[in-house]
Amino acid sequence: MLGFLRIIKFTFQNIGRNVGLSVMTVLILVLMLLSVNSLITVRALTQEASDAVKEQIDISVYFDQEVKDEEVAEVEAYVNSFEEVKEVTLFSRDEVLTEFTDKHKDNQDIISSIEELGENPFGPRMTIKTHETEDYATITEALSVPEYDQVIEAKTFADTEKTIQKIQLITSQVERFSALLSGLFGAIAFIVIFNTIRIAIYTQRTEISIKKLVGATDWFVKGPYMLSSLFFSLLSVIISFALTLLAIRFLDPYIMSIFNDPHFLTNYYFSHILVLAGIELGAVLILTILSSSLAMRKYLRV
Amino acid sequence: MISLTGVTKAYTKQSIGLDNIHLHIEAGEFVSIVGQSGSGKTTLVKLLIAEETPSSGNIEIGGWDITNIKRKEIPTLRRQIGVIFQDFKLLPKKTVRENVAFALQVAGESHKRIKDIVPRVLHIVGLGHKMERYPNQLSGGEQQRVVIARSLVHRPKILVADEPTGNLDTLNTKEIIEILKKINQFGTTVVLVTHNREVVNHLKKRVIAIDEGKILSDEKHGKYRL
Ligand SMILES: Nc1ncnc2c1ncn2[C@@H]1O[C@H](COP(=O)(O)OP(=O)(O)OP(=O)(O)O)[C@@H](O)[C@H]1O
Ligand SMILES: [Mg+2]
Repeated sequence: MLGFLRIIKFTFQNIGRNVGLSVMTVLILVLMLLSVNSLITVRALTQEASDAVKEQIDISVYFDQEVKDEEVAEVEAYVNSFEEVKEVTLFSRDEVLTEFTDKHKDNQDIISSIEELGENPFGPRMTIKTHETEDYATITEALSVPEYDQVIEAKTFADTEKTIQKIQLITSQVERFSALLSGLFGAIAFIVIFNTIRIAIYTQRTEISIKKLVGATDWFVKGPYMLSSLFFSLLSVIISFALTLLAIRFLDPYIMSIFNDPHFLTNYYFSHILVLAGIELGAVLILTILSSSLAMRKYLRV
Repeated sequence: MISLTGVTKAYTKQSIGLDNIHLHIEAGEFVSIVGQSGSGKTTLVKLLIAEETPSSGNIEIGGWDITNIKRKEIPTLRRQIGVIFQDFKLLPKKTVRENVAFALQVAGESHKRIKDIVPRVLHIVGLGHKMERYPNQLSGGEQQRVVIARSLVHRPKILVADEPTGNLDTLNTKEIIEILKKINQFGTTVVLVTHNREVVNHLKKRVIAIDEGKILSDEKHGKYRL
């Protein structure tokens, strides 16, 4: 117990008397965590953006005006039988008409020509959403069979196909780019941190051998380094998240115009903060403790 | 107190540190070890403090066979032997007082005893008034005296000094040797490795000469002759 208290005391004495090195270590860790956090932010944004676009995509199937209810039901069942399909919504003839008149209620010409007709000129409409954007092609193809030529008047697949492909291309490129960037940042951070700690240990190797020669146990020598690692890791996670949350406060107003959510990033971080901070703390701890014990192994064997 | 039987230390096949050494040192002796560079003096010291293990033979210290000492037991051994090296420095980020206290703290001594012992040993080496300085604020001789003070805190039965005066001028050397003699008079066995002819001749104590890992001569009241 006395030994443990002394180790704690030595830890903070070491940190205090090596202020320059301590500040450097924390600074590097904070920079690494900040770059990780900015990647997380970019990922959250692209994810949200592509989700939002995907949400707006669907296939609309326009049925013939004279189609029978059973025929519509049959097509619906057929479409539903595909695993790729997430949601099928059916609009009856009346609903389609109401929607149309609502949309054009300011245009008296259109409204009066509909009234002149005396009957509902529209057939029912079906909108289909799939889980993945790739799947729209499958579904539109499945609907382009001769049996349905009679009942289906039009499908809006031709137009959306290009948009979908474009979105797929953009998201996959953004994801590839951010993965590349994460990897790069991670590698740089590892090299920098490993070297910082190795240099720190190297300059302290005489100290380690002195401590061993006056009869210190391994634990007594190692303890302060391990505790410093823990302290630096905790401190850097706290600092980097404080800075990230601060930055997000400034970013949110700009993002609002895209997502209609005034606190999108803030909400995202607060709902994920335990997981994110936990994982980052764990990773930093492993990084610092592993590299310091690796660096120390050699010198403890005196 | 110290007993080596047929001790050989071969670092590699070509590099032999010690070659079949038989050596016995009684409690309370003051022994000087002399020999040319590379003759195996430091190797002997490292074997005594278990920094190296012998390739063959047996080493006993105070009746404890340390030939195959376990890693976990090494700290216990080190707390019973005071060690002084030429380049065995102080912890630069700790004050003189903290440096000396550290040797007690690693052994789990109580705060009260540390407060009691540290000023006393620093007094013995004449540094009672410079306790709050950092090592780089002391002269070489003063630093070496702090190292001696530190090696004394456990009241070791054995003090091993490997060229403790190697970097010091005549005056400082004399002071250090006087301190070592004083420690020996209190009953501690002292093993002193030195290159210094004057020191050895002045001591008029047992001198062991080593050459190429073998004992060349061992005289009760020897002189430095190489
Ligand atoms: N770690 C080592 N690995 C290989 N050979 C070593 C090692 N340490 C010492 N030796 C060799 O063992 C022999 C004895 O070395 P030692 O250090 O004991 O000499 P020494 O008498 O202390 O010399 P000096 O007076 O220069 O300090 C030398 O030939 C040296 O090269
Ligand atoms: Mg030597």
